[in-house]
Amino acid sequence: MGHIPQIGISIPKKESWNKVTGRAKYNGDHITSDTLHARILTSTHAHAIIKSIDFTKAEKSKGVQGIITGDYLPVLTGSIIEDRPPIAKDKVRYFGEPIAVVIANTEGEASYAIKLIDVEYEPLLVINFLQDAMKEDSILIHEKLSQYHHPSVEANPQFNTNIAGSTKIRKGDVHKAFNDSYIILEHNYSLPQSDHSAMETRNTIAEILPSGEVVINTSSQAPFAIKEELSKVFGLSKSKLIVRTPLVGGAFGGKATVQLEFIAYIASLAVGGRKVRIANTREQDMFSSPAKIGVDAKIKIGATEDGIIRALEATYLVDCGAYSDTGPRMAKAIASSCTGPYNIENVYCDAFALYTNHIYVTSYRGFGHVAATFPVERSIDKLAIALNMDPLELRLKNAIREGNTTPTQSKVTLSNTGNVEECINKLKTLINWEEGQVVQNIDDTIRAKGMACFWKTSNSAPDAISGVILKLNSDGGVDVNFGAVEIGPGMKTAICQIVAEKMKMDINKVHPFMEVDTQISPKHWKTVASMTTFMAGNAAIKACESIIKQLKSIGSIVLRCTPEDLDVANQKVFLRDDPSVFIHFKDLAHGYKYADGPSIGGEIIGHGNYIMKHLVPLNPETGQGKTGPSITVGAQAVEIEYDPVKYDYRLLKAATIIDAGKIINPGAAKGLLMGGMSMGLGLATREEFVYNAQGQLENSSLRTYKLIHFGEQPEYLVEFVETEQIDAPFGARGLAEHGIIGIPAALANAISIASQADFDTLPISPETIWKAKTGGKYDSL
Amino acid sequence: MIPFNFDYYKPNTLTDAINLYTELDSMGKSPIYYGGGTEFISMARVHNVHTKAVIDIKGIPECNIHVLKNTKLTIGSAITLTNIAIKNHFPLLSRTVKRIADHTIQDKITLGGNLAGTIIYKESLLPLMVANANIVLEGINGSRTVPIMDVFCKEMNISKEELIVQVIIDERYLNLPSLHVKRTKNEKIDYPLITLVALVDQGKINIAFSGLSDFPFRTKLLEDILNDESFSKDERIKKFINNIPYKILDDLAGSSEYRKFMLNVMLNETLENLQEAL
Repeated sequence: MGHIPQIGISIPKKESWNKVTGRAKYNGDHITSDTLHARILTSTHAHAIIKSIDFTKAEKSKGVQGIITGDYLPVLTGSIIEDRPPIAKDKVRYFGEPIAVVIANTEGEASYAIKLIDVEYEPLLVINFLQDAMKEDSILIHEKLSQYHHPSVEANPQFNTNIAGSTKIRKGDVHKAFNDSYIILEHNYSLPQSDHSAMETRNTIAEILPSGEVVINTSSQAPFAIKEELSKVFGLSKSKLIVRTPLVGGAFGGKATVQLEFIAYIASLAVGGRKVRIANTREQDMFSSPAKIGVDAKIKIGATEDGIIRALEATYLVDCGAYSDTGPRMAKAIASSCTGPYNIENVYCDAFALYTNHIYVTSYRGFGHVAATFPVERSIDKLAIALNMDPLELRLKNAIREGNTTPTQSKVTLSNTGNVEECINKLKTLINWEEGQVVQNIDDTIRAKGMACFWKTSNSAPDAISGVILKLNSDGGVDVNFGAVEIGPGMKTAICQIVAEKMKMDINKVHPFMEVDTQISPKHWKTVASMTTFMAGNAAIKACESIIKQLKSIGSIVLRCTPEDLDVANQKVFLRDDPSVFIHFKDLAHGYKYADGPSIGGEIIGHGNYIMKHLVPLNPETGQGKTGPSITVGAQAVEIEYDPVKYDYRLLKAATIIDAGKIINPGAAKGLLMGGMSMGLGLATREEFVYNAQGQLENSSLRTYKLIHFGEQPEYLVEFVETEQIDAPFGARGLAEHGIIGIPAALANAISIASQADFDTLPISPETIWKAKTGGKYDSL
Repeated sequence: MIPFNFDYYKPNTLTDAINLYTELDSMGKSPIYYGGGTEFISMARVHNVHTKAVIDIKGIPECNIHVLKNTKLTIGSAITLTNIAIKNHFPLLSRTVKRIADHTIQDKITLGGNLAGTIIYKESLLPLMVANANIVLEGINGSRTVPIMDVFCKEMNISKEELIVQVIIDERYLNLPSLHVKRTKNEKIDYPLITLVALVDQGKINIAFSGLSDFPFRTKLLEDILNDESFSKDERIKKFINNIPYKILDDLAGSSEYRKFMLNVMLNETLENLQEAL
C-alpha cells in the first residue's frame, strides 16, 4: 500500500479555522455569572516597609466581597528558592508587587475599591543596578535568605549577599591559553529587562468546591507544575486539584511559572471557595507579573594569529529582580552555553543570579540564550576586525564539530548537535554574503549585513516526562490526548502529524484534544524549552506502537494469521504479502463483531511515555554535566540600510538557517522562526524596561513600551538543514524558541560595521547611534 | 473597562451643551465634553481621569460641518481625523492627521478632541497655526471666533465650559507649498520626537512644532530668524536652535540634545524642500 508522507508537509494548524474566525476560546473568554472578580493593588515603591494597609473605606465600597493582604495566608513560593510571598507581607521588593487583593461582584467594583485602600510605606534604599547588588556592603533584599527552603538541587543561594544562585564553568586552563594567545579582547555587554507581551494577558480562575476539589482554569504553559506547586504550598491533595488550560494566546515563557494561580486560590478561600477570576490589565501584566532577565556581561577572548579562539573567560550578572523564580536556572543556562557553537577548549565562566529591586523574572523565549549569545557574537566580530578576517570565515574556522566538547564537557556528535558549518555555508548564499558586508548606496546610505550563530539545549529537569494517549474512534480516526498546552506554535498539529506518519494514515483523520486538563491528560512536564515535539513526539511513537500492536493482535484473529504477517496503513490492517486481504480500523476500533453476532476485542486505547535520559546536574566546581538531550544550532543574519546623516537605520532582511533535524511542518516551522526573529529585532531595536532612580518602572504601558509593529517588519528568509537526531521522533530537533537567539547580535554587528562604532548594549535606537558617533552633545558649530 | 459610573448626555444644540455643562458643573459632577473618546476611555481605565458626566458633542450640527464655501474651509470639532484625510480639503492637515496614532484610532479621534485633549502633542494644531486659522468657541455668552494662535499659547486659553465648535481656514492657505515632517524615537506610529509643519506664504516660511517642547508652538521670533536671508542657511539654523524660547523636552522619546540634533536635520530638510517656493 502506498504511503503519502504526513511529515515534511505544510498543513494548517488544527485550530487555525477556529482562530481566524474568532471562534477559538481562550481562558479569559470563559466568564460565568457566578464568577467574582479580583483586582490587585500593587506597590508604588520598589523597596519599602509596609507600615500599614487601611482598607476600611474599600471594604464598604459597593459590591466588595472580601479584601486580603499578605497577612491572610502567609506562604512562600518558588520552584528553586521559596522566597516569594504571593501577596507581599511586611515589605515590598519591587514596584508593582501585589500588596492587597479586592474581591468584588464585578471587575469595575473591584477596580474602584482598590483605589480606596490607603497604604503607608517606609521607603528603603533601592538596588537599581547589578553592580550594586554584588557589592560586599550592599543592602540585602532578602535578609532571611539563609532561612528559605530551596527545593531545587540547582539552588545555591549565598547567605548575607544578594546572590540567589551561581554557576561555575572550569574547562581547560584559560590562564595558560591567554598567555599563548596572539590577541586578547575584553569588553562589557548589557541587555535590559523587558516584557513578554503575549497577546493574552495572564489570567486565572480559581474555585474551591464543597467536595474539597480545587479547580483552577488558567492561561498557563505549565498546568501540571501549577498542580505540584499549589499542592506543595497549600497542602492540597493532588487528586483533588484540577488544572485546566484551553488554547493560550501567547506565552513566550512568561506563563511557565505560577503566579496569579496562588493569588486566585487564596482569594477564593477568602470568599468561602467561590469562583474568583483575576485577569491582568496590560499594564499589570507588564509591571507586576514576571518579566525577562536583564544581563550585564564581561567577556575576554584570546585567539591565535590565524583566528583560532583558544580561551574564553566570562562573568555574567543576571538581574533576577526581587525574587529568584527561574533566574538561577537561566544563569546556569547562560554559563553552560557561554561559548556559543564554537570549539573553545579553555573556558572559565561565572554566572550569578542576583536579586535587585526590579520586577522579578521568569523564563523568556530562548531561556537566557539571547544574553549568552550577544557578548560572544559581538566579540567574534571584534576579533574579525582586529585580525582583518571575514567574520563568517572566522566563525566557520571555530565552528563546533563532532568530537569537540561543550563548556560543560559533554561530547558533541552530529546527532546530538547538528551541523554548524553547513548552516554557516548555507547562510552565506542565502544572504549573499559574497557581495560584501558593507555596500555603499548611490544616495549615500549604507547597506550592511551582520551575522551570528546560535545554539541551544533544553536545560530541562532531568526527570521531565511526557505522555500520549491515543483512542480509536469507531470510524477509524484517532484521537490524540497529551499534556502540552497549545500556546501558538502548533504542537498539537505536529504531534498529530507524527501519529499520522507512524500509523501511515491521513493527518485529517487524526484529531487532537486541544485543551489540557490535568485530570484527563497525561502529564507533560511544562510546555517550554522547545521540547514538546521531542518529548511528546517520542511518547506518541510509543503510543502508536501500542495501537498497532493491538490492531495486529485482533486483526490476526479476524484475518486468521499471525500478527507478524500483518502491516498497518491507510486505516487498514492488511496482509503484508497480499494487501488486498485487509480489515478496516473502524471494524476493529471498538471491538470486532462477527457476522453471526459474537464480538471480540474492545475499545483500542494506546499510550506511550517519555522521560529525559542521561541528564546530569552540573558539578559545582567545574560545571561538568549534561543540561539537555540535544542541541539545536543555526546561523542568522540581519541586513540594514544605515543613514550616516540621520544616524538611523531601516531593517531590510532577517535570515535564519537552522539545523532542524527533520522538519515536521515546514510552513509552521518557518512561521515560528520568523516570529522568533521578529521578537529578536524587537529586543535589538526598542524593547527595554526603563527604571527611574527610585526603581520605579517608567514605561509600563504600550504607549511608551514599544514592540515592533507589523508594518516595520523586514523581509524574512528561512531555510533548513536536516541532520537527523537519532533519538528524536523522525529525527526532529527542537526549534520553537531559536529564531530569536542570534538576531540581536546580528543586528548589533550590522549596525556596528555600518556606522564604524561599537554597539554592545541593547536596544540600539537611532539616538544610541547618534550618541556613540557624536558624544551625545548637540553641537551647533 | 472603566472602573466608575458616569452619566452620559448627547445634546442636539450648542446651547443645550453649554447649559448642561454649567448645570452639571454646579452639581459637582466635573463634566467633560466628549468626542471620539479615545483619550477618555484609555485614561479612565487606568484611573487617570475621573468624571461623573460626559457630554457627547457628536449630535450637534455645528460640530459636524465639513465644508469649503465662500473662500472658507470650516471643519467641525466632531469631524474625525479619517474624515479630514479622506475629504482632503487641506492637504497639509491631511498629511499631518494621517500620522497621528494608527488608522483605527484615526477613525475615532476627532479634531476637537485632538486639540482639547490632555496629551501634549496636538499635532493637528500645527497646520492650523501656520495657516492662521480661526477657532469658533461656544460659551455662556454665546459664540466667539478668534485666531487659533490666541487660544493655543502654551496652554489652551479658554474657560472650562467653552466648547470648541469649529476651525475656519482661509481658502488661500489650503494649497500653498508646505511640508510635514514627523520623526519618532524609532517607530512608524508613535508620539512625535518632533513633528514639524511648515508652509510658505508670500515668500516667508510659517513653521510650527510639536514634541519639541511640552506644548505645540509657532513663534514669530523663530520664523524671523529662519526667514532672515541676510544669513546663510547654516547660520540661520544655528541661530534658530539657540533661540528656542521654551524648554526643550527631555524624556523617554529622546534627550533634549538629541532633539536639537534632529531639529537641525529637519530644518535643513525644510529649507531644502521649500527652497523653490521661496
